Amino acid sequence: MEEPTKAIKEIHPDPSATSGVHPMENLLRMERMPHIWCPTCGIGLAVTAFTAALTKANIDTNKMSIVSGIGCTGRVAGYVKLDSFHTTHGRPIAFGTGIRVANPGIKVVVFSGDGDLIAIGGNHFIHAARRNIDMLVICVNNFIYAMTGGQVAPTTPLAAYATTSPYGCVEPPFNIPYIADSAGAVYVARWTTLHVRRLTNSITEALQKTGFSVVEVISPCGMYYSRINRLGDGLDMMRFYHDNVEIRNGEDTKNLDIGFQTKIICGKFVDRERPSYMERYNQWLSEVKGARGEG
Amino acid sequence: MKANPKHVLTGVYYIDGDVASGYGAMAAGCRFIAGYPITPSTEAFEAFCRWGPQVGAMFIQMEDELGSISAVVGAVWSGIKSMTITSGPGYSLMMETIGYGAMLETPFVLLNIQRGGPSTGVPTKTGQADMMQSRWGSHGDYELIAFAPESPQEMFDYTIRAFNLAEKYRCPVMIMSDECVGHMTEKVVIPEADKIDIEPRRFYTGPPEQYLPFKPDPDLVPKMAKAGDGFKLYITGLLHDEKGHPVSNEEYSMKYVKRLVDKIRLNKDKIIELKEENTEDADIVVVSYGISSRVAVKGVEIARQRGIKVGALRLVTVWPFPDEKIAELAKKTKAFVVPEINYGQVVFDVARCVHGQSNIVLVPHGGAGVHNPADIADAIEYAAKTDKQIEGVVEFKTRLEKLVFEGGFKLKE
Amino acid sequence: MNLITSIFNKGIETSGIERKRISIPSDIPFSPEVIEKLGVDYFHTARGRAIPFGTGLKLGNPDLRVMPVTGDLMTLGGNHFVHGVRRNMELLVICVNNFIYKKIDGKTAPSTANKFSPYSTFEEPFNFPHLGNSCGAVYTARWTALHAEELAASIAEAITKPGLAVIEIIAPGPNYYTDIDDIDENLLKFYFDNSIIKNDTNPREVGITPEDKIIVGRFTDKKRPTFIDVYNVQLGKTIGEKFTPYGVTQTEKKKSGGSDGGN
Repeated sequence: MEEPTKAIKEIHPDPSATSGVHPMENLLRMERMPHIWCPTCGIGLAVTAFTAALTKANIDTNKMSIVSGIGCTGRVAGYVKLDSFHTTHGRPIAFGTGIRVANPGIKVVVFSGDGDLIAIGGNHFIHAARRNIDMLVICVNNFIYAMTGGQVAPTTPLAAYATTSPYGCVEPPFNIPYIADSAGAVYVARWTTLHVRRLTNSITEALQKTGFSVVEVISPCGMYYSRINRLGDGLDMMRFYHDNVEIRNGEDTKNLDIGFQTKIICGKFVDRERPSYMERYNQWLSEVKGARGEG
Repeated sequence: MKANPKHVLTGVYYIDGDVASGYGAMAAGCRFIAGYPITPSTEAFEAFCRWGPQVGAMFIQMEDELGSISAVVGAVWSGIKSMTITSGPGYSLMMETIGYGAMLETPFVLLNIQRGGPSTGVPTKTGQADMMQSRWGSHGDYELIAFAPESPQEMFDYTIRAFNLAEKYRCPVMIMSDECVGHMTEKVVIPEADKIDIEPRRFYTGPPEQYLPFKPDPDLVPKMAKAGDGFKLYITGLLHDEKGHPVSNEEYSMKYVKRLVDKIRLNKDKIIELKEENTEDADIVVVSYGISSRVAVKGVEIARQRGIKVGALRLVTVWPFPDEKIAELAKKTKAFVVPEINYGQVVFDVARCVHGQSNIVLVPHGGAGVHNPADIADAIEYAAKTDKQIEGVVEFKTRLEKLVFEGGFKLKE
Repeated sequence: MNLITSIFNKGIETSGIERKRISIPSDIPFSPEVIEKLGVDYFHTARGRAIPFGTGLKLGNPDLRVMPVTGDLMTLGGNHFVHGVRRNMELLVICVNNFIYKKIDGKTAPSTANKFSPYSTFEEPFNFPHLGNSCGAVYTARWTALHAEELAASIAEAITKPGLAVIEIIAPGPNYYTDIDDIDENLLKFYFDNSIIKNDTNPREVGITPEDKIIVGRFTDKKRPTFIDVYNVQLGKTIGEKFTPYGVTQTEKKKSGGSDGGN
């Protein structure tokens, strides 16, 4: 067997990484493999980063739920060996809010795509950020609805082609970090699937935060986005990321727009403290009880 | 009125049902589609997006199904014909505004390509389990029209008819197709524009100050106006009087709701479309719709080879329901066999109309596939051989059911 | 006429736009008399759906000026809001923020701030102008209902903006739109007294907190191509000569007619 590279060793300090056993076997549902993602898709890398971060953050995986919506990334929950929930389209954040608020002992990770979280689930997204619900949202952004066959998404760059924008996209895309920031998220970062190590670190860091954290993962979609727009395969997209990503930690989130094949700014943009929903709730409760003399 | 030749892609095509429906919408004069991608209906939206802009139509992909259907109702009130397209979960989200559309007497068309359910279910495979939802899905009392086409050609034809009926009766019209028909690729003939009849909108033409948006014509349907013409429209989803102003007493409620249901019920004869075959002297009548009627053709054929006198009644319009026709057939028919891809929906409406005069056999299916014609044939044979009167609906046990529940069937690992 | 609708009336008057060209989709039930006075087309939509309804109206007839007036639109309609802003649909969104769901007494709405509501809540409110601005609104402003002059001028200015404009109106809860007598004048005045005009403040800094004064004023005024502009340019580019720009005939008519002082 080939000797794992230094990078892989770093991501997977687990000695089994070199033993022929799949290094993430304890965190993945191996019986569900092979997964449904197309060759050259980036979602697998995001899952790798996530599982590596789980190992690194040393979190009790029995006390963790992963919630996904509908779409390619929506299938992630089904492959990760945590309490996994595959919910309806757009609702994972609302579902996760229920878990977290009803049982604050459970750490919630919402792992879904741009169409699911930002299009149909946009309202839940901004509201959870406003409430500062304690959850980590990993949003895989591939610029398109891939599961339904390549329709335009609210993240599709202007003038890019999709099956429902056959003459080029006419809607300016969302800048996900900016909307998350302005709605009140406490941690916002963006990486591409090329930046596996940085992404892993970011997820590890976000897992430790109390409050609404968002990590956007720019991912290639070789089957639809790249094919319709003739951008080559996943490897070409990785090369594109390599040449066009600029890392600017702490950049003002309003400067993070993504155009069609333009420069992508990555980094950690927001890391702040704000009382979370449960903290506010408990404070409110003690005040109310105090006023009634029940405290 | 005839279709505009600019909007009709006259010719012979080899396309699927979704695309045919998109072309049908264009031919019918639809100028606006708001949609949201959902398997297996997206192709219809895509077809419209591709061709619509070339002939001056507009499309938008909204943020969700709630948005799409709201935009459609808005576009209708701005004066143009509009449509939305969806499936399963999206259809559930649209329920709120379907009722709103019915209350506002808004003519629009909704194409629902049914898929396996409930919830996310089986997006890529067929189902017919939204039939009752299409009838009763939104809260409150209203009537609407629903078609169940069985081929791509019918998807084209009945999309046009749906637009015409929507305009004629000012109500939402559903095309309750299913994944099989939506993704079935067949020959579709699109005729010349002058062979396609189009129902124009009934616009009010008198002086604006005298206009009453909800004052019905003798056929119970009011005339429409559009925003921007100085009518000072006051349109609300609250119960309203003829001016459109909110009212909340019981008399108005009776008057208004009765008209909403009566404008369809009293015009049933003009709306309902059935296809009958050999029902005259049949012992058994197979009642079916959509893809199941196509499968039933083979089942009927097998049963006839077995020497049973079988007729077929196909519901092209499922809602409003042909009560009288079924009741009339019940007088001379021994039993009805109803194959549908659910565990009993339309069959109970059949039972309601049969009123205990004949036996009723449901050939159920759990979704994600279509019936085996042999099951339908067996059900027909069973119905023909059963002489005693059985109360209620008999659920026929299909081959697949025996396989799944009684062994022999191994779940694929 | 009551307070807010009389301000609408004045704003529409000042803008010079032909009243019949204005449509108001709204999830707030205005009384028929008010609409009669305003002389506009009014659509009482399902709760939270004023913006997508308005999107349909605008796309169906680009000649219309559509002004969705919503209550606390951010609850049911939050998603429609952010996406409408992103597309830069030509709408003037007026959000009447009374800090509570007015119709259902006392339930907290997303914009409730502790001190300003009799029903205290522990949730932090949205900062509308910032959210609108961050999604790309061409115009954002906030006024209390007693800033009648400024508000009317703001409406007149914003209704002709090519793109999505947002005006937040801070108004007290009870029946502000039917009868002025019902308004809790103390509360109205409280908002007014507790506000401070700071035009062109960075919207990021205008969040409403119990400790500070409410910052009012015009915060954003910028240019961005609208949905229909981009649509026409993009499709003109890719389809070529066969493409007829959408809604252009009406726009041209509008320009030659020129009675509305539009854009």
